[in-house]
Amino acid sequence: MVTLVQVVVSGLLLGGVYALLAGGLTLIFGVMRVINLAHGEFLMLGAYASFFLFVRLGLNPILSLLLSMPLMFGVGWIAQRLLISRVDRAPLLASLLLTYGVSLALTGGAQATFTNDFRSVPFLSGALNIGELAFSVPRLVACVTALLLTGAAQFFLARTRWGKALRATAQSADVALACGIDIDRARMIAFGIATALAGAAGTLTSFLYTIYPEMGKTFMLKAFAVIVLGGMGSFPGAFLGALALGVIESTASYVTTTQIAEAVIYITLLAMLLLRPQGFFGLKEA
Amino acid sequence: MPASALRTAHADEPPDPASPITTIATGTRGLRIYTGFIWAVTVAIALVPVFGSNYTKTFVLQALMSCALAASWNLISGFTGYVSFGHSAFFGIGAYATGIAIVRGGMPAPFAIVVAGMAAATAGLLFGYPALRLRGPYFAVGMLGVAEAIRVGVTVAEPVTGGGKGLVLIPEDVLTVAYYAMFAVAVATVLVTYRVATLPVGLRLLAIREDEVAAELNGIQTTRLKIGAFAVSALFAGLTGGIYAWQMSYIDPGTVFAGSLTVRAIAMTMLGGQGTVFGPVIGSVLLSGISEALWAKFPFLHTALSGVLIIAIVLFLPGGITQILQDRGWIPRSRQL
Repeated sequence: MVTLVQVVVSGLLLGGVYALLAGGLTLIFGVMRVINLAHGEFLMLGAYASFFLFVRLGLNPILSLLLSMPLMFGVGWIAQRLLISRVDRAPLLASLLLTYGVSLALTGGAQATFTNDFRSVPFLSGALNIGELAFSVPRLVACVTALLLTGAAQFFLARTRWGKALRATAQSADVALACGIDIDRARMIAFGIATALAGAAGTLTSFLYTIYPEMGKTFMLKAFAVIVLGGMGSFPGAFLGALALGVIESTASYVTTTQIAEAVIYITLLAMLLLRPQGFFGLKEA
Repeated sequence: MPASALRTAHADEPPDPASPITTIATGTRGLRIYTGFIWAVTVAIALVPVFGSNYTKTFVLQALMSCALAASWNLISGFTGYVSFGHSAFFGIGAYATGIAIVRGGMPAPFAIVVAGMAAATAGLLFGYPALRLRGPYFAVGMLGVAEAIRVGVTVAEPVTGGGKGLVLIPEDVLTVAYYAMFAVAVATVLVTYRVATLPVGLRLLAIREDEVAAELNGIQTTRLKIGAFAVSALFAGLTGGIYAWQMSYIDPGTVFAGSLTVRAIAMTMLGGQGTVFGPVIGSVLLSGISEALWAKFPFLHTALSGVLIIAIVLFLPGGITQILQDRGWIPRSRQL
């Protein structure tokens, strides 16, 4: 029983970080109907940013978020303005191929500048014992930070003026435009926020996992499974999907091996697409 | 319906500068150059093993492989608009079916490759039946998931597949034979595309791309057609994978299920022209050449530059070279091209 609770809890802790990454992916899909294949690379950039701030300036990774998130917001804003805005009304293939190109360019750029070495941020360690349960401190910190940031993003989307504008653009860009919403700006804000969240997820993974130029790929595929579970385009859905996926992954790797757990993730993704493509609460157009 | 009417049915296409009739008249000379180019490339490729070095042979073999993959991807995605982001799944299935049939079944290679092609086609039927009910982004993500799931599955099934360490086939010096086999598969894929494009079935597939509901209302059996096209596409991808495995005599899951195989095929098709017969050929000739030049000049920046190249294709040539030539009236708007 204790083991089971332990497995579920570590799954939920894992899910918190997934929520941060997948939240941005689903936001981009919701507002722009673009599948961002470069999302994992934004996570990679965030991880490297924290790594260098930690190594060069000795900056605490959590504090470095104050620097890296606005920076990543800018990266996303510019990416949307220069690249994505040219294809977000074109057929699906254009945006898929374009974002893949961005992903390749960023991975290749990172390989050339940062080399293929594995790096890590030695920040936090140890475990917190509550009764018979043990929580890894770095994971706990990562999860709490992720929950705070996801909550802040949800607050922005649900309660602020621009959040409303984003949701309106997601529902129908044409009608939003007719109502006087600057949809181009809304799209840049959406992409900026999504990128900043992905960067933050990168910061959190920087002290949980190894950092290397191709690290984004696995995370991105998991984020896809998350947003399919939650429903593509739904921010709260992505949150629930992330927790669900975290628990599924941690249970599967406890019962079997990590490799089979990876297979379980993709099978979950496919099963959900076949049985309920709109996910828990996605768009009805699947 | 004439072909020109179909092309101008696109909502956001600029109006034709010339009427269709003059386009064909002015297009005759361009057409001769165009078909001349295709024939010249074909003949040159056929003669490479006679005159070329081993390096040239290996390079052209790679290009032929890309061409066959691009043309087979075009058969489903270029025509129906269903963007398959998991095309490497069928390449990988073909490669592993060949490897397993040779290593564990003791089958002669040519036989194993044919079996592999059929295995891939069967997989296409099996996955296509459920997956092609999904539309747009859901299909794209689904096929991405299929390719990854199979890759992990192959890695886990170590006793049969050799797992992550890969599978070593019996090494043979088959470069020239494999070269002509790949050539045959590439030509066959393009010929099938030509057949499909010039028969009514091609128009039906294009109708699915333009508006699936309208196509269905006009009595087109969309599901059947999509699954059929998907299986044929998988067949050729599987044959390509099989020949690759035979020639390399070593395969591993990370290489033969690599998403980059799919993306290369897509980028080549887009560069040449989606839903056209010779678009994937032109795209693969150009992109293979450019890619090789980049690789030789900037070995460290190769990945990054490939990314930039793909971005440039999407931003500046989204309709492909074929469409540009047609817009300028150099070649006619014919479905035979």
